[in-house]
Amino acid sequence: MNMSEKSKAHVDSCRFCWMCHHICPIGNATGQERNTARARALGISMVNRESIDLSEIMDNIYECATCGACVHECVTGWDPVMFTKETRLQAALEDKLPEYINKMLDSALELGNPYGKSELDRALADAIETHSDKNDLLFWLGTDARYMASSEGIRAIKVMEKTGVPFTVLADETASGAQLDFLIGGAEETKEQMLRAAEVMNGYKTVVIYDPNDAKAVMQTYKEYGVEVKASVMTYTSYLAEAVESGKLALKKTDKTVVIQDPYQLSRDLGESDAIRTVAGAVAGVEEMLCNRDQTAWAGNILMAAYMPEIIKKVAARRIFNAKSVGAKAMLTASVSEYVALRSVEQDEVEILSLEDLILGE
Amino acid sequence: MNYQMNKFLFSMILTELEDAVGKENCSTRAIDKVTHSVDYYWLSRMWADRGERMPEADFVVCPQDATEVSKVVKIANYYKIPVTTWGAGGGTQGGAIPVCGGIVLDTKRMNKIYEVNTEGMYIECGTGAIYKHIEWAANEVGKATMHYPSSLTCSTVGGFLAHRGIGVCSTKYGKIDDMVLQMEVVLPNGDIINTASAPKHAAGPDLNQIFIGSEGTLGIITKAQIRIFDQPEERRFRGFLFQDMHGAFQASRELLQKFKPSVMRLYDEAETASLIKKIVGVERPGAFMNIAIEGVRELVEVEEKILLETFAKYGAEDLGSEYGEKWWKEKITFFYPGHMMDIPQMFGTMDTIAPYGKIEEIYWAMKEAIETNFPQAKFIAHFSHWYEWGSMIYDRFIIEGKDVPEDPVEALRLHQAVWTCGVRAALAHGGVVNDHHGVGIKLGRLMKEQYGPAMQVFEGLKKQLDPNGIMNPFKLGL
Repeated sequence: MNMSEKSKAHVDSCRFCWMCHHICPIGNATGQERNTARARALGISMVNRESIDLSEIMDNIYECATCGACVHECVTGWDPVMFTKETRLQAALEDKLPEYINKMLDSALELGNPYGKSELDRALADAIETHSDKNDLLFWLGTDARYMASSEGIRAIKVMEKTGVPFTVLADETASGAQLDFLIGGAEETKEQMLRAAEVMNGYKTVVIYDPNDAKAVMQTYKEYGVEVKASVMTYTSYLAEAVESGKLALKKTDKTVVIQDPYQLSRDLGESDAIRTVAGAVAGVEEMLCNRDQTAWAGNILMAAYMPEIIKKVAARRIFNAKSVGAKAMLTASVSEYVALRSVEQDEVEILSLEDLILGE
Repeated sequence: MNYQMNKFLFSMILTELEDAVGKENCSTRAIDKVTHSVDYYWLSRMWADRGERMPEADFVVCPQDATEVSKVVKIANYYKIPVTTWGAGGGTQGGAIPVCGGIVLDTKRMNKIYEVNTEGMYIECGTGAIYKHIEWAANEVGKATMHYPSSLTCSTVGGFLAHRGIGVCSTKYGKIDDMVLQMEVVLPNGDIINTASAPKHAAGPDLNQIFIGSEGTLGIITKAQIRIFDQPEERRFRGFLFQDMHGAFQASRELLQKFKPSVMRLYDEAETASLIKKIVGVERPGAFMNIAIEGVRELVEVEEKILLETFAKYGAEDLGSEYGEKWWKEKITFFYPGHMMDIPQMFGTMDTIAPYGKIEEIYWAMKEAIETNFPQAKFIAHFSHWYEWGSMIYDRFIIEGKDVPEDPVEALRLHQAVWTCGVRAALAHGGVVNDHHGVGIKLGRLMKEQYGPAMQVFEGLKKQLDPNGIMNPFKLGL
């Protein structure tokens, strides 16, 4: 398989290393040996040695969330996310992607979202329309909120309104490229999508990004791919935290107590884990559960639920179990995607809250 | 060679297994079979590295509890299909490799933590739980398992039990076989049994100890009560440099008549000059020893005084606490890629154990046997688990890649020869086949050499419990 020398070196080490066996949120949820960094590396190494065909490992390659828990855990600095994404790209080039991925890829390229959606929900479109005037501040909703969690998108706009700062939301917001990056890594198509998004963002002074997955892409991955964003970019959480601290966002303290589910894109990739606590602390008591801040365990997302819904439910259920273990009654996440995944679990012991739930009190 | 069956029979058995554990928990996918064919055993890794496929299972099943395990072994017994139990695959002895095909029974779905009991001081859990996860569960209530092997994050509770594992604090807290109160076991005929409700009794032989270390050859341990401990009020480290190992042995033997440290690690001169120099930073000739004392603060104070007085009598240079603390911080770093040996090197840990009167002799005998017969091999050792009566040796051979045959069969032959030579040297001087990694397929051939006619006890158990010989064939010499 055509793969960078760096990735090959990491593959050949990781295939025989078990040290991160405990940390994979998917492996922990499924109990499947294949859901480990070493299993993926072993499979890829055997493809490289022509003792198994690439098509035989691709389902497993797409069972990785690329959350980087294994990367973070590795003392040596090896990067299973890197070789997983390279393998996805290579499979795309060799026309060996699983059919369900091909379908999502086609949609992501044609419609800007992998879900086959061509229109926004009416209520969301109306909410966006009220912010169609050009302002210095652009609020970037992201694909998941626009097409798969529109009510959260609407409520996020309401939260932004509470800060009193005028902002723009784009009716024709393009994809950030984050989802293409997940599906096929650093392909030309991914970079093109990122360049288009960057061009739009550069028309504004400040961009506040709602979805941590987009925030990670814009604030970290773009740089890796040489895509420049001149606008000042902020995460939704850090913007709200600043608004709380400056008094722009006045919140009322309640008797609620929450545990924080840190989105890995914020806490691990962007090094931001205080902001959510600042906002949450203005409304509620804040407690911690196992695997918090940069050690966080991913709790599922919308994209992977589109092709492996039962596994994502198990992932989310395991995280809810972590919250229950510390006696939590409510769990707060700043990721719209994790929010949807966590709420897909049928249970009534732990209330799943978004920042919008907490701030709007609805 | 894999268990041979025709397509029709294969499909029939598959539907029965799917009925037992659920379709999504029964796989014949290539990735699952490949993943369960290579464990931490050097030979399986080498085989895969050379582009060869290790023997693979026909079916990979993941039951969620003893009831489902029971169904699986009943099916296997009826069709006389081998069943190899797999925890997380972190074993070094090839114990989890399905060398005869058949069924791999992966235990990791049995990962439920049923109870954290702070009165009886145990956690009851499924044996598929990764040990680090039960450590987390203990930590959440302010306790600790005190079982900290380098494979803490790599292995399941069942994996440690199957191979009689050990952790770095074993001198004070014991081996895994000391950590268990009660177990649930599925016998090869599908019966689900429980061992005695307490580990110390006079109600006949100890059932726990029959199944612990049996490596899936006599049954499958599905649930266990694992001891937890109060977190120590204080843990203090002290590094020492002995001029030679003999003084260290004398000092340690005397110390253990007085109290038990948690960590006791003595490195031979070769390992002090290599790994310890690299990771911990000790750059002086001699034998480095690291000691940790822990528990109630007042007792730690007294024990540290005794330690310093005892070791001073034997000429140990006190290096202070810095090296020990650094070692504790880095204790798992040793096993990450770039720090640990890896292919293309050939390597192995031939750990053994003996009373003080024999352990030094064994060390020198093994060192001489390896270095004389295999001059291309480097021999390093440390002694990391101590008792009032003796100690174990964690001795390793390392052959650089340039000296390892590229041909996989030739490499296998060399590997076998080194192991046979090293372990026979240990046996000849009063050691045992293994201290805490188990036997697997790697050392099965040497079990009869150690036990002689005593082996018939194990063989009798095997014959009675597993008359069809389906449970993990060719492991443990059974």
